[in-house]
Amino acid sequence: MKLYEGMFLLDNQAVRENWSRAKAGVTDILAKYGAKVLTARHWDERKLAYPIKGRTRGTYLLCFFECGSEGVNQMRRDFEIDERVLRYLLVNAAAVPAGELEKSQAEGAADFAAPTPPADERVSAERMVFGEFADRPVVDRSRAAAPANDEAEGEESEVEAPVAGEGV
Amino acid sequence: MADLNRRSSPPPALGSRNCDDPKIEYKEVAYLAKFLTPQANIYSRKRTGFCAQCQRELKQAIKRARHMGLMPFVA
Repeated sequence: MKLYEGMFLLDNQAVRENWSRAKAGVTDILAKYGAKVLTARHWDERKLAYPIKGRTRGTYLLCFFECGSEGVNQMRRDFEIDERVLRYLLVNAAAVPAGELEKSQAEGAADFAAPTPPADERVSAERMVFGEFADRPVVDRSRAAAPANDEAEGEESEVEAPVAGEGV
Repeated sequence: MADLNRRSSPPPALGSRNCDDPKIEYKEVAYLAKFLTPQANIYSRKRTGFCAQCQRELKQAIKRARHMGLMPFVA
């Protein structure tokens, strides 16, 4: 049994519905593969550096757990499948950092309420591929150069057509 | 010829790091951001002034932060 640190990027939609359920979704998978969850807490809600699966914001869940190496390899598959988990990172940890346990316990208290994430701006398919370049005006180069080449193009097509015919 | 090849002095190192300090963590985004160019490339050892081991920790931490969407791959 080794100590692991797990960081999970959760979909804000799931967090908005119910934070404790979103958290339980992750900790249940951990427990399913024999992990002993030591701490699990709301780390932060922030804007992502780049869009991930169409989301521009996300909530991070930080966990510390003990698990065998077999279990860690198997649980990766479950996190890949789970749609609420946008990204995850599992790394070895030397020890649970000081103060981590207290923060995790404070979250378990009855009066704890996770801050509601702000509305997520949807990212268009173009923006996902091209990033901020998608917002730039499109310069139609073919049209700008068209008037000068109008005659030339006409000639070319006439010349090319017979050549293609001969080939066949 | 030697004069032509000589460049102006390189920018000074960003500073050194005490190797006994705790490991650089991927969660310290503000600290990691100091070691990125405006295009979000990682600075070389020459520029950071880190030892090989610290530079490796830095590289690992930045790449983990990038994976989690905490830092950009390109900016």
